[in-house]
Amino acid sequence: MINNIKKLIKDFSLSELRGGLKITAKELINKKITVQFPEERTPISPRFRGLHALRRYPNGEERCIACKLCEAVCPANAITIESEMRDDGTRRTTQYDIDLFKCIFCGFCEEACPVDAIVETQIFDYAFVDSREGSIIDKAHLLEVGDNNEQMINETKLEDAKYR
Amino acid sequence: MADIEIEIDGNLVSAKAGEMLIAVTDREGISVPRFCYHKKLSVAANCRMCLVDVEGAPKPQPACSTPINEGMKVHTNNEKVKASQKAVMEFLLINHPLDCPICDQGGECELQDVAMDYGSDVSRFSEGKRVVVDGDIGPLIQTDMTRCIHCTRCVRFGAEIGGIMEMGGTGRGEDLKIEPFLAEGIQSELSGNMIDVCPVGALTSKPFRYELRTWQMNSVSNIARHDLTGSNIVTQTYKGRVKRIVAKDNDSVNETWISDRDRFSYEGLAHENRLLSPQIKVKGEWREVSWDEALEFAMRGLTDKVLNTGEANKLGALASNTATLEEFHLLQKLLREVGSENIDYRLNIKDLENTVTLESNIKLAGLEGVDHVLIIGSNPRLEQPMINHRLRKASLSGASIDVINVMAFDFNYQLNSENIVTPNQIAFMLAEVLKLILQASNAEIPEALSKIEASDTAKQLADRLLDADNSVIILGEHMVNNPQASSIAQLINEIAQQTNSTTLNISATANSMAGDLTEFVPGKKGLDANAMLATGLKAYILLDVYPHFDFHHPAQAIKALSKKDAFVISMNSFKDEAVAQYSDVMLPIASFYETSGSHINIEGKVQSFCASVSAPSDVKPAWKVLKVLADLLQLPGFHFANSMQVTSEISNQGHKQNVSNKKLDIKVKRSVNVIWQKSPYAVDALSRHASALQATKIGQMHSASMNKATAKKLEVAENDNYLGVPVSIRESVANNCVFVNTNKPIRGEL
Ligand code: SF4
Ligand code: SF4
Ligand code: SF4
Ligand code: FES
Repeated sequence: MINNIKKLIKDFSLSELRGGLKITAKELINKKITVQFPEERTPISPRFRGLHALRRYPNGEERCIACKLCEAVCPANAITIESEMRDDGTRRTTQYDIDLFKCIFCGFCEEACPVDAIVETQIFDYAFVDSREGSIIDKAHLLEVGDNNEQMINETKLEDAKYR
Repeated sequence: MADIEIEIDGNLVSAKAGEMLIAVTDREGISVPRFCYHKKLSVAANCRMCLVDVEGAPKPQPACSTPINEGMKVHTNNEKVKASQKAVMEFLLINHPLDCPICDQGGECELQDVAMDYGSDVSRFSEGKRVVVDGDIGPLIQTDMTRCIHCTRCVRFGAEIGGIMEMGGTGRGEDLKIEPFLAEGIQSELSGNMIDVCPVGALTSKPFRYELRTWQMNSVSNIARHDLTGSNIVTQTYKGRVKRIVAKDNDSVNETWISDRDRFSYEGLAHENRLLSPQIKVKGEWREVSWDEALEFAMRGLTDKVLNTGEANKLGALASNTATLEEFHLLQKLLREVGSENIDYRLNIKDLENTVTLESNIKLAGLEGVDHVLIIGSNPRLEQPMINHRLRKASLSGASIDVINVMAFDFNYQLNSENIVTPNQIAFMLAEVLKLILQASNAEIPEALSKIEASDTAKQLADRLLDADNSVIILGEHMVNNPQASSIAQLINEIAQQTNSTTLNISATANSMAGDLTEFVPGKKGLDANAMLATGLKAYILLDVYPHFDFHHPAQAIKALSKKDAFVISMNSFKDEAVAQYSDVMLPIASFYETSGSHINIEGKVQSFCASVSAPSDVKPAWKVLKVLADLLQLPGFHFANSMQVTSEISNQGHKQNVSNKKLDIKVKRSVNVIWQKSPYAVDALSRHASALQATKIGQMHSASMNKATAKKLEVAENDNYLGVPVSIRESVANNCVFVNTNKPIRGEL
């Protein structure tokens, strides 16, 4: 009985509404924390494992030597490599595909690579175009990701290096 | 040797006195790491990786060179052993580069494995490493000598198995280099085995370079069908293609070795010249059609031309000697079912009335144990490398070897005597030998031999055969088209009987034994290959025949097959211009390793195999094609679901070759004899399409050898063309003889 009366008074005095408005009023003046993605981005750890990239040496030569260790270690069987001897006698890939639908972004490929060729970048906002095939990125694409983001890759790897 | 007991890691083990410790641990499954030790090579004990602790010995002992003795107590796993293994490994890695990622041996490397199991995880070595500059040693083997750990397995392989020391060590200590002695690099016919014995990536397969990792491939056992050995191999396949071939152990066949031909011929499978779809000729134009249509066309052709007209005896079948046992059987069965006995696989013999008929009655392994060998008309090293290897082993353990040849060849063992004899004189020489042998046993001398005066050479040959307890007489390919071939075989047979020798007939190669076993030869009413082409039949079924390489007189054969009213069904794995010219239907059939079947080797051993890969695109195994063709012709008895059922239908009673007892012909004639031999890497279509093999020195063989006198008689000079082959004048050729060895098609007549 007494509880019912208390509730009636609370309801009719609009105390909850006023409490809510008080928060609203406070937040009106407070600093905003909403991140306006994609214009704004949250900070991510240098250890973040996003989209893959194949890197080059500063002289423009691709790093990958087709050792196939990444292919062997990949727990999701996401990597497919074909290789042969390039005309200059070096060992190179002719095909390097990563199926991003299969990939679980574990980073093992990066760990396995003896020449730091395959890396996982900070990029996570990529999209697949229409088909299933669109989810498989090939060597040219991977090298392009590497070329466009070399500075970022360099910086994040350097930053993380001291913890490894 | 007596059994003794030793103790290894606290367990009692019995072994034979004198055995090396490592042989005992290997048998018992106790792992002892090693690099230089190889079970088929001599002990070098230079890598020191196999150190074990023998109680009583002050220092660790190498297991590979420590003979066991009674009561010995060995530890393979204690602290002392572990420390020495670690130390040895560290020393080995001082100069070994860290380039596993680009090394083809990675994943199958003994050094990698042993370093993982027994080595230390960090290197204390920070000085400069040794670097060796590589030379090109040939089209088959890739070298990366910086990786060499100087185990000398390859050197010992050359010296002990290959018979020519092609690799050797020069320099000392830090400067020791393993390299070929000759500028031309490695040329032997067994060289590929060095790839297998090299524990690291210093020697790897060149055609396979940088393509795949070992873990990516499936390994399927198979049989190499190029020669009479039927070497056991492992085909390594990837995505339905054969990518590499390595040897498989089988002590009674090929031990651990295989010839280069067996190892590298697979390259031909992917050649662009493969016949990939069934084709029929309509109004002189080739048209690609479906299998149904092609087989229907073939069936119609056969029924219209010969079967419905009641002329089944105008149908003939010819096959090359590389066909499988099952293919031979089905094709001859098909022919015999429709009522024709015109069947033959002996396409390269000029006179089929005059053939070499001789049993082979010795086992491959048995060849090692003989104490005397007489080789007649053969260069076994290039023709039958694995048989030659056994002969070499016999020679090394003391067998005396005599040779009667038309030309001096490069043998890789010591010969007792090498008799270079004009082809026309060989029968006479053997007759001399036979007479002496008969005289020695006071047997009656047949009329034909009565007038012969035996020469000194014959005397020596006869004496050695008589003295030997266990001798073998080998008859080779060069005698096949000898005008006195059957007399030669007859004489050998007689000599063998009189001296209790065994015989080995290596005159027909590949799967010819299966041809004989399945009676792929004309029946009583049938025509042989030459008669078929001479009379001209109305229909032919040809199984993997390449006229320019297989017939003794290609032009004549092509002409006969091209006759307007002849309907020709050709089953081939590779395209061929001449085949396209005379055929009406071309059916693409599976090549080696793409079909199941069986090979019969020289000792009569039937070795069956499964397909390692399926044939490319529209290509089908020949046994299936033949089965379906028979079904279309509504013949009974072709209900086979797989090739094994065909195999089990073939009665394995070991075909007896009837030794002919025609009149002996031992007259010495003065005419010039041409001996035509396909070069070792041109024996079958697959090898001919294997590019690396063709690039080797053996693959490039292309010469007509003769001596000055013969050249004068034939009016040719060095480098002139004789039968389309450049003349090479050498005095090592017998008089009145031209020895042609070529990888090119036959022009003119043999
Ligand atoms: S991140 Fe992991 S799952 Fe993805 S490709 Fe690399 S190894 Fe494979
Ligand atoms: S990306 Fe690295 S690990 Fe993968 S094949 Fe290339 S070099 Fe080897
Ligand atoms: S090349 Fe290979 S087999 Fe020959 S010595 Fe060097 S490591 Fe041994
Ligand atoms: S294996 Fe014994 S020393 Fe090399």
